[in-house]
Amino acid sequence: MEVGRLPISAALKGKLVSAGYTSLSLLSSLSPSHLARDLNISENEALDILNHAPHDGRIDTSGGHHIISGAQTAWDMLHEEELLTRITTSSVDIDNILGGGISCREVTEIGGVPGIGKTQLGIQLAVNVQLPVHCGGLGGKAIYIDTEGSFMVERVLQIAEACWDDMLANNAISQNVHAGQVGMQPKDFLENILYFRVCSYTEQIALINYLDKFISEHRDVKIVVVDSITFHFRQDFEDMALRTRLLSGMALKLMKLAKKFCLAVVLLNQVTTKYAEGSFHLTLALGDSWSHACTNRIILYWNGNERYAYIDKSPSLRSASAPYAVTARGIRNNVSNCKRIKLM
Amino acid sequence: MASLKRLETEFPILDPDFQSFCALRGIFTVQDFLIRDLQSLVADAEQQPSSERFMQAINQVLYVIDGLHQPWLNGVDLMEDAQKNKHVLSTGCEGMDFLLRGGLRRGQVTELAGPSSSGKTQFCLLTASTVAYKHMGGVIYIDTGNSFSAKRIARFLNQISCPASEEMQPRVLQEVMNSILCHSVYDIFSMFDVLHCLESKLKYQMCRGDNDERLIIIDSISSLITPILGSSGSQGRALMVSAMSLLKKLAHEYNLAVLVTNHTVGGDGGIPKPALGESWKTLPHVRLLLSRDCGSNTYQVSLLKHPSIASGKAAKFIIND
Repeated sequence: MEVGRLPISAALKGKLVSAGYTSLSLLSSLSPSHLARDLNISENEALDILNHAPHDGRIDTSGGHHIISGAQTAWDMLHEEELLTRITTSSVDIDNILGGGISCREVTEIGGVPGIGKTQLGIQLAVNVQLPVHCGGLGGKAIYIDTEGSFMVERVLQIAEACWDDMLANNAISQNVHAGQVGMQPKDFLENILYFRVCSYTEQIALINYLDKFISEHRDVKIVVVDSITFHFRQDFEDMALRTRLLSGMALKLMKLAKKFCLAVVLLNQVTTKYAEGSFHLTLALGDSWSHACTNRIILYWNGNERYAYIDKSPSLRSASAPYAVTARGIRNNVSNCKRIKLM
Repeated sequence: MASLKRLETEFPILDPDFQSFCALRGIFTVQDFLIRDLQSLVADAEQQPSSERFMQAINQVLYVIDGLHQPWLNGVDLMEDAQKNKHVLSTGCEGMDFLLRGGLRRGQVTELAGPSSSGKTQFCLLTASTVAYKHMGGVIYIDTGNSFSAKRIARFLNQISCPASEEMQPRVLQEVMNSILCHSVYDIFSMFDVLHCLESKLKYQMCRGDNDERLIIIDSISSLITPILGSSGSQGRALMVSAMSLLKKLAHEYNLAVLVTNHTVGGDGGIPKPALGESWKTLPHVRLLLSRDCGSNTYQVSLLKHPSIASGKAAKFIIND
């Protein structure tokens, strides 16, 4: 029955069916007051139902242009993709395997063992997004959602100062900027990071629901970092089915945010052990049903004494790994084997 | 299934006299009409003073009822339809084509399940490119995870058309890529909207005779269904079944192939099994399980269910970068 597809409550659907309105065409030419009388509901509810029923005049059937509203052809998307800028991670090796950096309109999940540098990478991205476009950023603000309490403001200031020094050094070498044009002080970087602290899973879900309205009012936000997305869902959840539903709903909302406002969403995740094929190995937390909720996935791991980043899932990038290091200045290339000084 | 009162505006023979005749016997809607014993109703009508009009009215209601179901088909009609309309679309992947004896069949819904990063999106993009290029058909790609990559489609098209690694001509590339339409949907009701619009568009095109849509891909349908499945009440399952029945109807009436992807969850003994539960298992026509050898480009696919091929067969294939 077609009225089963309307996004209304089950009670209203039952009333519609028992009054004889089993298909959507019967609703199309009805007035709200008539419907309200028939179903014995208020006029507002009747108006709500009629607004959800699709009208036949919505598609453009005139002439040969039969694009359904909201669709894009692959050719248009190709051109759009070429124009999208990416956010640098400050490590040239990681940027290379990512095709330039973290891309907008996609949800990227970054996971790894504790201490590998996930929060450091999150902070680095929140600072880098504020750089002007020719330096690898997007000139926008960042939203940082902290669920674990691992956000250290002093470290952010340290990374921001290092970033500012690099920017000055670059601009002095390329000689194309006047002294006043750089403009930003390290403290300005702090001002553009919007910070939310979340203490329970209900707060986390409420915040993600609220982000749509918040970002409509703050259109210059270009990245949302959630550190970490899994913390409040790993403990004390008795109803696993409810957890799966909440997580998949949350994943869809984040995807929609990324696409609608053309920003990057970075989710930091923890690891857990899984027993498969006779041995234990590390996988990202929250199970298989969460693992499809991101567009790209990067796994950070130790190889001997060095940190590596590995692309685990991506629709258009090849699987590759790159070494990186966490320094006092933030995330940088791993220079232990390299005898030449690299220009940042 | 309207009430007799509402039918009166369209068919004036169902006048208030007839309606009160029916009301006395407890018949208010067409549905009640179907439940009652027709012969006793006819016998009653013949005994009334205006029996002629009542017989005409009863026939009118029966005519309305007859118009509501699909026409009867016999085996010969179905065979003709299968041979003329329900061809097979190659997927661009030799191992998969070999397993499915040609590829995706139009008129059938195929499910591809696999753990994360096992190649489902890559396979969908490859199939979309192949159908757009080789079969010159329109592809509708419904994307729920922002994973449609136009660059990857362009790379696949270059591989398919010029294996000697030359570049495709931009004009041809543009024409082929313009026949792939991508929608981003983030909840199941938006998907219903998209399919509804598509149905109207296909109906219109069918009348004009220039229907060239061949394939619908939904990547992935499980991320739309998981948020609503399993809560109290069976609303979620009802929506899932309703979505599949709409897809099957579109596939059969407009000769489209439908490809949907699903993720996997842990099963007994740690072996992954397709998600969405027991009631989902009966819905698609063809079910495939995909896995990838760790870190390589080699994929393994096995057939879980097919209407005309024995299940349990497996095949390997490679998708190049």
